[in-house]
Parts: sequence; C-alpha cells; structure tokens
Amino acid sequence: MEIKGEQLKVGYGDYTVIQGMDLHVQSGRITSIIGPNGSGKSTVLKALTRLLPYKSGMVRVDGRPLSSYSPKELARNIGVLPQLHSAPPDFLVRELVGYGRVPYQKWYQQNTEEDQRVIDWAMKATGVYPLREKSIRECSGGESQRVWIATVLTQQPQILFLDEPTTYLDIAHQLETMRLVKKLNRENGIGVVMVLHDLTQALDVSDWIVVIKNGRKYDEGTPEDVITAKMMKEVYDVDCDIIHVPGRRKPLIAYKEIG
Amino acid sequence: MSKSSKRKVSALRVGTVWLILVIALGLLSLVAINVGSAGYSVRQIVDALLSPEKSTVKVIVVNLRLPRLLLALLIGASLSAAGALLQSVMRNPLADPGTIGVSAGAGTAATTILLLFPQMTGAVPLFAFGGAALACFLIYTMAWKEGIDPTRIILSGVAINSVLGAYNSLLQMLHSDSLEGVLAFMNGSLSGRSWSHVHTLSIYAGIGLVLAFLCIKGANTLQLGDEMAKSLGVNVSWTRVLLSAVSAFLAAATVSVAGMIGFVGLVVPHIARLLVGSDYKQMLPTSVLLGAVVLLAADTVGRTVVPGMEIPVGIVMSVTGGPFFLYMLRKRGKVRGN
Repeated sequence: MEIKGEQLKVGYGDYTVIQGMDLHVQSGRITSIIGPNGSGKSTVLKALTRLLPYKSGMVRVDGRPLSSYSPKELARNIGVLPQLHSAPPDFLVRELVGYGRVPYQKWYQQNTEEDQRVIDWAMKATGVYPLREKSIRECSGGESQRVWIATVLTQQPQILFLDEPTTYLDIAHQLETMRLVKKLNRENGIGVVMVLHDLTQALDVSDWIVVIKNGRKYDEGTPEDVITAKMMKEVYDVDCDIIHVPGRRKPLIAYKEIG
Repeated sequence: MSKSSKRKVSALRVGTVWLILVIALGLLSLVAINVGSAGYSVRQIVDALLSPEKSTVKVIVVNLRLPRLLLALLIGASLSAAGALLQSVMRNPLADPGTIGVSAGAGTAATTILLLFPQMTGAVPLFAFGGAALACFLIYTMAWKEGIDPTRIILSGVAINSVLGAYNSLLQMLHSDSLEGVLAFMNGSLSGRSWSHVHTLSIYAGIGLVLAFLCIKGANTLQLGDEMAKSLGVNVSWTRVLLSAVSAFLAAATVSVAGMIGFVGLVVPHIARLLVGSDYKQMLPTSVLLGAVVLLAADTVGRTVVPGMEIPVGIVMSVTGGPFFLYMLRKRGKVRGN
C-alpha cells in the first residue's frame, strides 16, 4: 500500500502550515518525519490520514483519492495514534485494545471470535497480553503507550501512523517503544510513519526520513544521506558533527558543547 | 484463569449494585405509596385495593400516589440518561441538559404562554417541549462550523441561555403579580400530576431510553478522544449531534411534564461512574436505575418532610444534590467527565 500526497496545502482556518508538499509513504518500511517545532510535521501526518482536511492538492491511497474511502474502510487500512489520546482510567487494557475493532463492526455488533483473535494477537505482539486485566490507571507510561499501539494494531492496518510516540516517556520507555515499532515492521511488514523529535532514534530505526522546514519539504532519503551536519545547521540552526563509532552500524550526532 | 476470575469479580460488583438499586426502588415505592398527608397502614391499602368498592384510600393511592410515583421514576431515569449521554458528548463533567438549552428553551416557552397567553395554559407542555427543542437546535446550529466541538457547543449554549434568561427575567418583571404558575414550572414539581401525564411521558421516555441504550457504543468511543475516535472510522460530529438529540428529547419530555428539575442529570451519572466505572454498557443502566431511585426519594421527602406543605422536587434535588456533589468532589476526588 502506498499513500501519495501531491501539492498538498494544509492549515487551520486562514493559516496555511503546509505550502504545497509532495510526500510519499508506503507499507513495509519505517518513515520518520522530522523538523523543528511548528514546521508542520503533525499537520502533514493529519492530512495524509484525513484527520485534517487539506485546502488544495490531492492525497491518493493506492491510486484512489482519499475522499473516496469511507471512514471505516480507511480505518481498516491505516491506523493512527494521535499525539493526544485519553481513555477513562478504569478501562481495562483488553477493553481499550478491543476498540481497534470498531472499524470492522456495525454500531450494534459485539466482538466476534475473529475480533477476539485479532485483539489477542495485537496484545501479544506488543507485549501487553499479561496486562490485559489491568486498568489503564495501573499501567506505567511506557506500558500505556504499548497498549495504545496495540489498539491501533487491532485495526490490522497496512500503515501505522504515530505522532510523536515517544514524547513524555523516559529514555528506557522511548527505546522500548522504538524497539516495538521496529519489531512490528520487521515481523509483520507493517509500514510505519512517525513524527519524531529525537534524531538519534530517527537515524537508528528509520528506513526513510523526510525533513520538513517551514511547511516545505527540505529533503528526504535514507537516514545517512539526510542527517548531515549541513542539514542540522540549515534546518535546526544547530552545530554538530555526525560521527561514526566503531562497532555501531549507525552514526551518532555529537552536538556542539554548550560551553 | 485470573482473567475469568477478575471478570467475574467486576461482573459481580455491577450485579450487586443493580440488585441493591432494584431493592431500593421496591422499598422506596412501598414507602412512597404509604406516606403522605393521609397516612394509611399497608393493611388498609391492600384491603382497599382488593375491595371492589370505591374508597378514599383507593382514590388517593390509585389516582394520586401511584401516578406520581411512576412519574418520579420515569423522570429520574430520563434525566439521568440524558445527563450521562451529554457528559460523553462534551467530555466535560459539568454538562447537563441545561447546557444545551433544554431548560432555558422550555422555560422561555412556558413563561411566554403562562404570562402572555394564559388562556392557552393547557398547552404549556407542548410549547415547553417545542421551546426546548428549538433552543437546542439553535445552539447546535450556531456551534456548527465544519463539524462540532464541545467547547463551541458550551459557549454557544452560554450565549443563547443568557439571552433567553434575560427575556424570561424581563417578562417576569413586567408580570410580577401573576408569577405563581411560572415559579411552579421553574422549580419542577410533581404535584397534582395524573395518569394522563404518566401515559404521555411513558411513551416519550420509553422511546428516549431505548434510543439512549442504542447510543452506548458511540458514547464509549467518544471517550477515547476526538482524533482517536475519528481514526477508528467514527463520524465524531454526527455522533455528538445524535447523542445530544436523544439527550435533549429525553430532557425536554420531562420538562414538559414536570417543569425544570435540576441536578439529577448532573450528579447521578457521576455517582453511577463511581459505582460501576466509565463503560457505558454498565454506567448507563446504573444511571437510569439510580436516577429513578434518587428522584423518587427526593419527591417523597419533598411532599412529607413539612406536614401540610409540599416542597417541589426540583428544590429538594438542588438543596440536597449541591452539598452531596461537593462532598463527592472533595472526598472521592474522582469526579470526571470522561
């Protein structure tokens, strides 16, 4: 599956954030969208997933216009974990994960055996199966993030969109979440598109990186090609060196000392 | 293993709560039939009901206390269901049917009829229902802008409620000598209601409650946040409108029969949530049962606590509901809207 944005203009009210952008994401690989605060990363993610209407341009999903998909049909093909989500804290993990089946059900239907099988699979794939009888209140930040990813996974999407999945998590839970994302991609072939702030993580897990600056695409390509000292200076106005360390596959970003 | 046992525990808890509420409902109903300005023993009542003759006891019980009891149950259940749905729509713990203009709309229509067209007093319920529906429609139309969001509904409600409130106050000032009917309407009372009211309301409340139960899945999904619900393929704006319409229908039906009764729709869903959790599959039925119990209790207290005088149920609800709400807010610290 592939989703293509052509000449996209997106914004809120009279304010245009994304100024005519071409963007292409596909299943099977991990794509990270990076860029400074306010550059339009989340906005473009929302436009590709129809959480936000675009002003002009076109989004095609497998060649078909995004608008031709019914809401539920779209939800069976792509899953989105928004930056802001909340559930009543007394919901049980298995109940919350079960909401991922909503796109497969009519409003009066209950979970079928097939639904239950997918719910169990998603909980096992994200490692939250042992927590299934706990309430959300009893889960740690990292656990609850995995529960939410399980919920979206229960939609059986071909592409998973994650908007800043590691924000507000401590470093251990950030790495845990990134490992989970990589595992889901490698083991199930699910495409992942995520907005990331941590560039070292983006470098580490992504197959493809899109850099956005002021609502325009600055560059895109493989992590090693895109994350360069020049890009860091031009996009973030940050001085750094990209250093290769023996024994590591991916390079590291060494920021200039604060002094 | 732990899965099934834990599921049993929570099912047991919900079952216990429902059982207790049903028992409370039964006991309260017996009390409500028994007590009043004329006190009868259970034996007298049973004898009178069984005898074919027409007796004072029979008239009082069958024509006065029974319909009043049924009305209290229907109104309590309807208002609580209405409030529970609205709290999901707004994701706000302060939402109640007043928020979306039901009270102000019904009040405006009733005040207008009672003060300007007193010869049409008989049609007050009809106009109150229409006024409530109209105010609610107006608020949602004003709030709609490429979809609907709770903040705009609430703000649009504040604006329209204030305009209608001003109109009501002005009208009352100009007709300050004939406010008795208006006051009775504003303070919701079940005094003097008859079987015809029961018949009307049971149809409306019946339809409304069935519709409310059909909204359970929608109400639950809205609790996950707008973007999440949207990405699950749910049309969030229309779900909100639909749930609001059901809620307004239920509330307007009660207002047209009994006038404005505050606080039930606000407090009862919160207590239900504390008892059985946030899942509407359990929370909505609990609200309905609890609402019926609470309103019947309030009405029975209202008509018996001061001998020879009736305190409107709306006043009893507000006087006792307010402090109780504060108590919950401070003690439990768990009052929340979603």
